[in-house]
Amino acid sequence: MADDVLVVENVSKRFPMNIVALEQASLTVRRGEIHCLLGANGAGKSTLLKMVAGALKPSGGRISLEGQALDLHSPADAARAGISMIYQELDLVPQLTVEQNLFLGHAPGKAGIIDRRTRSERAHEALRRIGARFSPRARVEQLSVANQQLTAIARSLTMNAKIIIMDEPSAALNETELEAVFAVIRDLVRQGVSILYVSHRLAELREIGDRVTVLRGGRTIATYDVADTPDAALVEAVIGKARTLVERKARPPVAGEVALSVNKMRGADGLMVEDFAVRWGEVTGLTGLNGSGRTTFLRSLFGDLRFEGKVEVGGRPYRPTHPAHAIRRGLGLVPESRKTHGLVLDAPIYKNATLASLGGRFTMSHHHERERARPVLDRLSTRYADLDQAVMQLSGGNQQKVVLAKWVVNGAKILLLDEPSRGLDVGAKADLYALVEKLAADGAAVIVASSELDELYAACDSIWVFHEGRILDRYDPSVTGRETILKATILGDQHVH
Amino acid sequence: MSTDNAIAERAPAHRRLANLLIEYNFIAIFVVVVVIAAALSDNFLTFVNIANLFQQAAVVGVVAIGMTFVILTGNIDLSVGSLTALCGMVVAVLMAAGWDPALAVVATALVGLSCGAAMGATSAYGQVPSFIVTLAGLVSFRGITYLLTDGVPVSGLPPSFAAISSSVVPILPGLNLTSMALIFICLCVAGGLVLRFTVFGEYVYATGGNPEAARLSGLPTRLMVTAVFAISGVTSAIAGILLTSRLRIGQPTAAQGLELDAIAAVVLGGTSLFGGRGSLLGTFFAVMLLQVLRNVFNLLGLGSFYQMTVTGFIIVAAVLLNRFIEMRRGRG
Repeated sequence: MADDVLVVENVSKRFPMNIVALEQASLTVRRGEIHCLLGANGAGKSTLLKMVAGALKPSGGRISLEGQALDLHSPADAARAGISMIYQELDLVPQLTVEQNLFLGHAPGKAGIIDRRTRSERAHEALRRIGARFSPRARVEQLSVANQQLTAIARSLTMNAKIIIMDEPSAALNETELEAVFAVIRDLVRQGVSILYVSHRLAELREIGDRVTVLRGGRTIATYDVADTPDAALVEAVIGKARTLVERKARPPVAGEVALSVNKMRGADGLMVEDFAVRWGEVTGLTGLNGSGRTTFLRSLFGDLRFEGKVEVGGRPYRPTHPAHAIRRGLGLVPESRKTHGLVLDAPIYKNATLASLGGRFTMSHHHERERARPVLDRLSTRYADLDQAVMQLSGGNQQKVVLAKWVVNGAKILLLDEPSRGLDVGAKADLYALVEKLAADGAAVIVASSELDELYAACDSIWVFHEGRILDRYDPSVTGRETILKATILGDQHVH
Repeated sequence: MSTDNAIAERAPAHRRLANLLIEYNFIAIFVVVVVIAAALSDNFLTFVNIANLFQQAAVVGVVAIGMTFVILTGNIDLSVGSLTALCGMVVAVLMAAGWDPALAVVATALVGLSCGAAMGATSAYGQVPSFIVTLAGLVSFRGITYLLTDGVPVSGLPPSFAAISSSVVPILPGLNLTSMALIFICLCVAGGLVLRFTVFGEYVYATGGNPEAARLSGLPTRLMVTAVFAISGVTSAIAGILLTSRLRIGQPTAAQGLELDAIAAVVLGGTSLFGGRGSLLGTFFAVMLLQVLRNVFNLLGLGSFYQMTVTGFIIVAAVLLNRFIEMRRGRG
């Protein structure tokens, strides 16, 4: 098979504590092919990519390039071998020029002195190959996102990449920009470069892909010819038919009044929410692809981002401009990243748990704060050795409980949880949703944003699907099937037509 | 987690002692240096010398208190030396113009407060690094100081003003501290209490520890930054008043490089330049440690060139030690 450029055979990856991220995954990319990789969140796409790009070492299996087995120890190894990875957050240095970025780390020259003329010639050559219409002397930060994307592709070319891996390049691009990037990709493929293209979006695969490999639950399901395979078959491969569902327990009907309602909200990053409401005692889920506006919506509600439109909390108008306003009205946010946004990692557990509820007082009684934190942490079944322990030393699940405790201590009645289960193991996830249920049973309104539809499906009274900054629809999981909701998140508006 | 629980319950006593020693390593270092100093010179552990130590440490010590607040929020204040000189001149000029000393002192403290708050607010609300804002302060405040009198010192201050720094207060039989040493100690205690026992203090640590998490917990982080710079402004003003009071002359060239001494003391005392970690107790001992070193060199008859060289090494060693402890802790 002389035409196979990249062959991945039965590659597995296990992380400590027996978490299997990838199990016997295989795929083959041919020369001059655009090969797509499709899979839901957590299907193992990033793990697979990282191993091919040398950022992770496989626990088993074989990766070979042009018939030669690879033993990659670092991304630099992979680059030397001819594998180039373009990450979603482009790894360019924005302050440097295009030319400098193209040859960062492999500039032509002798004895540490850069041969500027050769570099300039080769930069022109690389930019010409991708048909770029910007100067190699331009600074990367002044380029549009699409041109930055092209710069990253050109950089791969300067390293003589045989295969370029692109991780969801469409996430930051609009339609026309994407079209320009696609044109470049098609042109490169004609020149004999292979592309491994990762995306959630079926429409894109249709437009650009030759073949597609579907990953699900860490396994490769199959490889299809894009042209011969109907959408339905692909969606089924992504979702899985006979898979054991996360059990959905019957939940008592929600009887509470409307806790928070949103009408015609316009916010950052093109957020447009026409109509949204959550009742006291309700657990409601927000789902959608990454970047679909879930996080922006929650941050807007929490006064962290400005918005226009009518929002009411408990029937009274609500216009927060600082998180402190939101907190005063009884809202609490468990942010997407607990380490960078949720916790003061160095500080003791009890201080983190009471940080949001110290306002309005002058003196600080550490004894009193410990006694306020303790019962809440216990109620959330947090496991810790000592309240004075730095919160950094706790496991992820227990850290998340401390963030949650911060709002419970403060008596928040509307809880906004952004990807609360990220990085938690199965047990900790179950714990977390049990807590959410308990808080809702006590009368709180809980909004959970997550890309893990299974979790929402099992735990929520209603699920709202976000797509490109807008809410597509509200679903009642006791009536609507999981597949219908998942289709809506992947296909966006298409499923309506 | 359960194994952690078990360990913590099984061996609390000596583990806790070890933790305390690690936490307060600067006290241990201080004691070691004092013992060495006492062995090297018979004159070291005398009441007169001890009173001297406090007296000489007072100006940089007072400034270091404000600096500790600033650094705990993850900021830095380079303007304290110039602001100290400016305030020292302002108080002198006001009294030379016939103001009552008490009134002049209060007005000067307000000048320090507003200068600090203005820099803090510029940094916090304008989102400019405090390094830049206070660097500008360092230059401009010194300039204003010279402009006040065209660079001429102001003398002929009322005797009652000198009493602010030089009144002698008996503490123990034989040990008399000057009022300026006492002011330093009292401010340390007050600052320590604020950091430990007020919500404000808690917010200072949280703002420095993780500004994002603090803001999302509803803390007024920008106001906090403004406030710590205001505090640093006030302590600089107090230092300037004490300095002028002790010298009995308003000297526009005073307090050059004071900011570096204060920053060195704060860092030596274990406060992290990234914010969120440290204490005034550490700063206090570090100020005294640096003063003891200076004192020892003087008693041994070694010049200031030696002092400067050795002080630099000690600061690096102390910071490396803290780094090492943190890394150990991070792993354990």
